[in-house]
Amino acid sequence: MSVSDVFSIGVSALYAHKLALEVTSENISNVNTPGYSKQTAILESALPNQDSRFPVGSGVRVATIRRVHDDFLQKQLVSSSSSAGNYDIQQTAMQRVEQLFNEFSAAGLGTDLTSFFNAWQDLANNPSGQAERQAVLAQGDTLVSDFQRMNNNLNQVKSDANQSLQGLTSDVNDKLKTLAVLNDQIQQLEFQGGNANELRDSRDKLIQDLSEKVAVTYTNEPDGTVTVSLPQGATLVTKNQAGSFSLEADPGNSGFFKVMLTDPGGSVVSDVTQALKIADGNQGEIGATLQVRDSLVDGFISGLDELAYKLAEQVNSVHGSGYSLSGATGIDFFSPPIVLTPPATPTAGYSRSIAMNITNINDIAAAFTNPTAGGTTGDNRNALNIAALATKSNSMSTGNSTFSGYYNSLVGKSGVAAQVAERGATQSSAGIKQLRDMRDSASGVSLDEELANLIAYQKSYEGAAKLINVGTDMLDTVLSLVR
Amino acid sequence: MRVTDNATARMVLATLQQQQERVYTLQQQVSSGMRINAPSDDPVSAQQALDMKVLIAANDQYSRNIATGNTWLAQMDSSLSDMNNVMVRARELATQMANGIYDASARQSAANEIQGLKDQLISLGNSQIGGKYIFGGFVSDQPPFITTDGVPSPGDVAGDFKGTDDPIKIQVDQQSFVAINYSGGKLIRGDGTSGTTDIVDTLDKLITALNSNDTNNVRSSIVKINSSIQQIQAAQGDVGARENRLEKAGDVLTGTRDYLTKALSGKQDADFIQVLSDLAKQQTAYQATLASTAMFSKISLLDYMR
Repeated sequence: MSVSDVFSIGVSALYAHKLALEVTSENISNVNTPGYSKQTAILESALPNQDSRFPVGSGVRVATIRRVHDDFLQKQLVSSSSSAGNYDIQQTAMQRVEQLFNEFSAAGLGTDLTSFFNAWQDLANNPSGQAERQAVLAQGDTLVSDFQRMNNNLNQVKSDANQSLQGLTSDVNDKLKTLAVLNDQIQQLEFQGGNANELRDSRDKLIQDLSEKVAVTYTNEPDGTVTVSLPQGATLVTKNQAGSFSLEADPGNSGFFKVMLTDPGGSVVSDVTQALKIADGNQGEIGATLQVRDSLVDGFISGLDELAYKLAEQVNSVHGSGYSLSGATGIDFFSPPIVLTPPATPTAGYSRSIAMNITNINDIAAAFTNPTAGGTTGDNRNALNIAALATKSNSMSTGNSTFSGYYNSLVGKSGVAAQVAERGATQSSAGIKQLRDMRDSASGVSLDEELANLIAYQKSYEGAAKLINVGTDMLDTVLSLVR
Repeated sequence: MRVTDNATARMVLATLQQQQERVYTLQQQVSSGMRINAPSDDPVSAQQALDMKVLIAANDQYSRNIATGNTWLAQMDSSLSDMNNVMVRARELATQMANGIYDASARQSAANEIQGLKDQLISLGNSQIGGKYIFGGFVSDQPPFITTDGVPSPGDVAGDFKGTDDPIKIQVDQQSFVAINYSGGKLIRGDGTSGTTDIVDTLDKLITALNSNDTNNVRSSIVKINSSIQQIQAAQGDVGARENRLEKAGDVLTGTRDYLTKALSGKQDADFIQVLSDLAKQQTAYQATLASTAMFSKISLLDYMR
């Protein structure tokens, strides 16, 4: 072994430790980068030079810069993100619905229902009284506007969900395009023997962000690219090509959007709305938005419709058999619903179209027989009959209940829906937190650890420099031998 | 488990947010006084609480109805009492005039007084409360009895009853109704069956008898006047019984309302002592978290490196 070997060993050490220092500094500077995986320089001894009589290794080299990465954890993070995104959207929507039914923060339809029937009781105590009649009309008006207001707001939740699909799909499309670009870059870089660790981190992070919006599965291909698809199989990204989502108005769903997917080749367009709408809590924000729009809110709207319909039906029936102050009978109190042809349910939309049929207080039929016949304006029997509807048990779709009882059960339902969504959101965010902690435990950067490594590599660098120093001295000595 | 700086930071953030959320919920309970501020806080109790509120509101309405009923029955009681006095005076006069001492002219003046008593009776029959005639059945906006100086339609005679015998009912509880009126026709004119007296007719006959100085008929009218008085007193008894019924219904309502209010409070009110102590605990925990975060974030390997 010659003195120059000492040099070359020293140089290899310098070079290897310089690279290790670079890797450490990369880790330190990226401590707060989301999705960053710690990189480690793997040092290994260089092979010995077999020529000399006592082979000794020829120094150190960096075998590879390894990215610490757990693929299984990553897949779990991806699917948890979908769940979190899903419950997030669901929670916001259900809280909005709950607020409409919240009789605890403000008097609403429930209170007004009671006031309506109480007004009829007051009328029964003074059937020809102007003030009492005015109050009945006013309470009727209040009920009508309550129904309409709630119907409007619930439908607003639906149309807001529909509108938000535009932002969501364009966000997803951007991510898909970027994924395709990253695929290309990573494949090229690694083909040329380079290190694409940071790009891989970006790609992983992007897939995770994407899965918040729409649930995806992905496969790592041997050529370094990733193929991303919907869980039902439709491909979203393959190699350097990305598919895209688009929205079309669906005439079969009141003009709301249906979601179309163009495949990465750009040729096949398919309707993926049903595939995205599976109600398993795992479909990401797009899936949850579609569900909110098409199923979650509908139950409440149809409940309101049924309440309005039955209320108007019963009140009109009793009211029509009574007599107004002017002796007329057969008067409807509320405007009767339009008769709908099947398959539409008869009650559909009535909470929006309900209206008062009477504006004149004399048209209120408080009497049971014609009061103009004998001057019997004190006949309060019909008013009592209408007031009695408050405690009447009606056959509703959920069983027998009074009007107030049915409304209160809708309030309870809204509470349950909000509670379920809130719990789902809390649980999935707790799950994600745990997964993130586990991921960090494996691939996160610990400053203490990196700083310790910094010291170690720096000392080694100093040692290697010293080695070169000594080698120089030795060479000087040898050279000075020959004069 | 290897703990990184990010994991620590995330944990601290999550803990602080969790604690703030709990503090928020507790403060909401304190300021509203209620445990349930939205249906999702406790959906089952929320629904039950709302059902109870409906019952309480109905209860209040029944109380209002009873108040109206009480006013009517009180007025009725007073009118009946006056009618009683009228007939007692009529009996006095009749008894007097049945005595042979008096002569035709005395009986004439008596007849005039009886006429006046009859008018008084009829106008008592037209008693009102709040503009409503209480003896007319369903005819409550016009006087049910034709008065002597009222303008009669052809064929109308003073004292004719133009009202109905219908009971005006108010609702005092679920399925429970009480009539708050008494038919003037049945009261003063009888209903044509034996055992009821047509009081107006009795008075008319007395006037005729007095005017024609017919002592016998004057004497025989006393019997009818006695049964008139009994008829009025029977009505008074009926009204009194109904006043009792209203009072009892009112008591029941009060009792039910107390029970419902207590049950409602149990369902939805916040337990202040519990909430305030939880709030204090949460605030302490929050402070502790902040303090420990500050403490740990100050330490790092960098402090110890040269």
